[in-house]
Amino acid sequence: MEAQYDGVKLKEVAGGRGRAAAALLRAVALVLTLTSTLVLALDKETKAVAVTIGAITLEIPVTAKIKYSSTFVYSVVVNAIASGYGALSLLLMLANKGGKVRRATLLLVVGDMIMVALLFSGVGAAMAIGVIALKGNSHLRWNKVCNVFSKFCHIGLASFGFSLGASIAYLLLVSIAVFHLQK
Amino acid sequence: MASTTTTTTLISEKQETVVTPPPPPPPPPASAYFASDAFFRVLLLAASIVAVVVMVTSKETELVLVSRFPFPVPATAKWKYSPALIYFVAALSTAGLYAIISTFVSLSGVFFPAKSPKLFLVLALHDTIVLGIVASATGAAAGVAYIGYKGNSHVAWVKVCNVYDKYCRHVAGSLAVGLFASFVLIILIFLNVTALYHRAPKL
Repeated sequence: MEAQYDGVKLKEVAGGRGRAAAALLRAVALVLTLTSTLVLALDKETKAVAVTIGAITLEIPVTAKIKYSSTFVYSVVVNAIASGYGALSLLLMLANKGGKVRRATLLLVVGDMIMVALLFSGVGAAMAIGVIALKGNSHLRWNKVCNVFSKFCHIGLASFGFSLGASIAYLLLVSIAVFHLQK
Repeated sequence: MASTTTTTTLISEKQETVVTPPPPPPPPPASAYFASDAFFRVLLLAASIVAVVVMVTSKETELVLVSRFPFPVPATAKWKYSPALIYFVAALSTAGLYAIISTFVSLSGVFFPAKSPKLFLVLALHDTIVLGIVASATGAAAGVAYIGYKGNSHVAWVKVCNVYDKYCRHVAGSLAVGLFASFVLIILIFLNVTALYHRAPKL
């Protein structure tokens, strides 16, 4: 009886408003992942760096690119996959008016869950490398990079922020869908 | 005497069945879901413990040539030296603690099935959050471990796994188990969502 009571209560929460919120979240996640992909993929900075060879010190232009770190490439790929999935799932959700095809709802929950895993791992990996680039690691003698390429690092940070926002959006989408299934 | 009493009781039972309304159709057995749910939760606990223990025991000391000294000096590699690996240990410990608590919640669903729909909901929501934590930690640790394995010539980050082979084996094993924990969490969420899906009334 208590469960039924809860079901009734949750039905009010996960009614039309829940669906509208889900559609909005999906659109927001799509925009965020797309922005994150583009911003990170186009992130590039060239700086003159002093290099000492023997007694001669030369100023050589050095370029920082996303391509140089496999972790950032992974992040770009994950965000691209998530934006592709975001567009498809938004279409599927709009086509499935009023949640008529319940199997589609289940499919979307599973897809959203995989996006949560992918996006969070992508953000985690990129942030970990970002922390090393920002702070360096004296134990392994990995020097910091962000003191030289500050613009590159700031744009990267913005991209990770967008990606983190998208992962939280997918987390909320799974929650809303689970509430929806409860009704 | 005995036969008359049995007939009277039979009649009274019949009357009772006629009087009382028919019982509602029983819901699909939730305890079956909870049994497999509890099994995967114990698996999650085992995976987190193994990942944490293997990572924490990854200390290795090797003789390394440092530019300041003309002779090799002992240098130690520890998981504590990398923030990403610290995050990994913290996240997997959290997942292990969550696995213990949620196993009891899941077992309560086996023995008290009345509250089960609410339990499926609560478990699915928290599993998703823990999945986010474990996936990000595995990604972070794997990203750093990959640089430790391959190095990055563009920013002059040298590889360390050619020196600290045992350390790197521990980290790699721990990462594999962490990835396995993520998969177990995905299975758990799928299980709970499927249970909710089958228990929800058809539209």
